Amino acid sequence: MNNRLKVLRAERDWSQAHLATELGVSRQTVNALETGRYDPSLPLAFKIARLFQLPIESIFSDEE
Amino acid sequence: MAGKRKLILQTVAGFGVILLAGFAMGAVLGYLEANGQDVMSSTAALWAVGAFATITMLISLWVGLRWMSSIDEAAQEAHKWAWFWGGSSGMAVGGVLVIMASLPQSAMIQIPAWYSDRTDPAAYAATGAFAMLTLMLIGYGVAWAWWWLGRR
Repeated sequence: MNNRLKVLRAERDWSQAHLATELGVSRQTVNALETGRYDPSLPLAFKIARLFQLPIESIFSDEE
Repeated sequence: MAGKRKLILQTVAGFGVILLAGFAMGAVLGYLEANGQDVMSSTAALWAVGAFATITMLISLWVGLRWMSSIDEAAQEAHKWAWFWGGSSGMAVGGVLVIMASLPQSAMIQIPAWYSDRTDPAAYAATGAFAMLTLMLIGYGVAWAWWWLGRR
């Protein structure tokens, strides 16, 4: 699954550590999410969507 | 942050209870032994250690439960993945040894008596259990590191 997490974070000039704190996860988890090597659970995906105030489908996509 | 501090306090308290239970068990056994009762060569000492081990395992499980719920979902996934694949791989290696040991020909193999020179069945059962646990934990550690290295 692909995502725009890194772009969205960069647009807000946030560090991985800051995003991790906002989401209540570790920095390593944010890194794994950004590289697309870990797909979040639905609750975490909703949390990310709420944080960026965007619909889930505009952040995550199942297209290669 | 407050949740983390609470977890650390609970962990310290849990292991404090284990230390106190160990001290209490040692004190009771020592007192009885000093008063002429040969508890150390009776089954009473065995049951006392059994009770202490039960307390230790229950508290360890409780601490493990609290800790597992405190880490985030990716960290939990890494541990679940590592336990299944690493633990299973370690068990597979141990399984080879179990199958070999079940054959009558294995009676010819001399296994070192590392349990205070004991060669009784219980000591060998403990040796086998430790060997299996060690293999599973090695597999667990390797699989856990593998999971995170693949997601860097």
